[in-house]
Amino acid sequence: MSDAIVRAVAVAKHFGQFQALHDINLDVSRGEVLCIIGPSGSGKSTLLRCINQLEKVTGGALWVDGELVGYRREGDRLYELTESQIARQRRTTGMVFQRFNLFPHMTALENVIEGPIQVLKRPKAEAIAEAKTLLARVGLEHKSAAFPVELSGGQQQRVAIARALAMCPKLMLFDEPTSALDPELVGEVLAVMRDLARSGMTMIVVTHELGFAREVASRVVFMDQGRIVETGPPAEILSRPGHPRTAEFIAAVLS
Amino acid sequence: MLNEPGITDIAQLRHVPRRYWGRTVSAGLILLFLAFLVDAFAHGQIEWRFVGRFLTVPSILFGLGNTIVMSVLAMALGIVLGVAIAIMRMSANPVLRWVALGYVWLFRGMPAILQLLLWFNLALVFPTIGIPGLWQARMVDVMTPFVAALLGLGIAQGAYTAEVVRAGLLSVDTGQYEAAKAIGMARLKALRRIILPQAMQVIIPPIGNEFISMVKLTSLASVIQYSEILHNAENIYYANARVIELLIVAAIWYLVVVTLLSLGQAQIEARFARGAGRRAGRS
Repeated sequence: MSDAIVRAVAVAKHFGQFQALHDINLDVSRGEVLCIIGPSGSGKSTLLRCINQLEKVTGGALWVDGELVGYRREGDRLYELTESQIARQRRTTGMVFQRFNLFPHMTALENVIEGPIQVLKRPKAEAIAEAKTLLARVGLEHKSAAFPVELSGGQQQRVAIARALAMCPKLMLFDEPTSALDPELVGEVLAVMRDLARSGMTMIVVTHELGFAREVASRVVFMDQGRIVETGPPAEILSRPGHPRTAEFIAAVLS
Repeated sequence: MLNEPGITDIAQLRHVPRRYWGRTVSAGLILLFLAFLVDAFAHGQIEWRFVGRFLTVPSILFGLGNTIVMSVLAMALGIVLGVAIAIMRMSANPVLRWVALGYVWLFRGMPAILQLLLWFNLALVFPTIGIPGLWQARMVDVMTPFVAALLGLGIAQGAYTAEVVRAGLLSVDTGQYEAAKAIGMARLKALRRIILPQAMQVIIPPIGNEFISMVKLTSLASVIQYSEILHNAENIYYANARVIELLIVAAIWYLVVVTLLSLGQAQIEARFARGAGRRAGRS
């Protein structure tokens, strides 16, 4: 179990009558960069949100960093975790959203130090020093006093990545991080993510950027209609897909 | 296309602006009417020296102090209740939701003056109040004009504030809740650090408005003998029959307090507008 940071066994997710995820089986090893691709509505984001407990799994079982997500087991009973226990479990993962979701009433620096100070109870001076290092790492040391409205979409997303990294997560989740960006700003965000991957960070990336997946991913998962259709190395999935639906999707994205 | 011979650049000729005769005439009429009003009050049956004399007598200043104290306390009670009710309204627990709904329905549905009278006369229903075996008191001793006014005004205000706070909380994007959770924040901390500061931008303008209403609403407490400024002004004119002069005294003080509050509101709004306004591109 310790080599897999995420283990999903027959995971299902229902929203009322609608089933968004069917029988998801997936192991993600430490240090791996997993790219999830697939048409919209295929459940990619839902899977990511289940790993971070923004959604609750309704069937199967999900482990993150060796802990059962959302429950504590005693004998043959499962006790729902309290809110603070869930908050603690979430600290294993960092999340980057499609729409950035920076805190608009805080500067870039304040966004980055908020978690370390408020949640991890780090001393302020220490948190600021580390936040500055992180902002430099995403190329924004000169923007630390800027409010989100004063930043471009690409800059906001890079601050959001720094904010997630400030919590020292073991796993980074990216939910279509470049989909809300103007095309000329996509490159700067992908460059930061590429850097992060090279530094050995474990990453799960939901993306439509097949070029990024081909270059950076250690494995690609193709999802459709709430199911994992196929999984494999990027060269194989993207160039010689085994399933006609995968081939169809890749052709549609590239056209 | 018409071609006006000789014009090559409109900037070289003298421009005669258009005249707005209607505006000029109506402005003139309004000024005339205002001059008439000022003249009427200056020469009417008002002894202005009485206004000057009573403006700062102890009884009026004491009433002014009570008006301000009651406004602040009733508003504070209203905000505390309003935030609590708004959070209950958005709870997943149906009992809490229904209690919140019932509270707003009840206390928004009755006139404030009626609620004041109900609280003030509570002794008719419950002659004594207390915790059995521990403490007991007669209701008439507990329900003083001050307590009745505070409960009546504060609880009614809570019903209005709850709706304002709820609108503010709903105005914050759900992505903000998710981002706060994603950095490991628990619900209350996220509410306090992330959601409420943003909701404040929506909450502050109507709350400022309600505060100004509250200052004037405290005058209702005069009917239950709370000694606020209008009550004290009335007591003076019952004795000396200078009715209009003392009403003008009270009016002046209300205007002063409301003016100061309006200035304060602008300051607070500016503080909570942090990070908004200067839009430098897409959101």
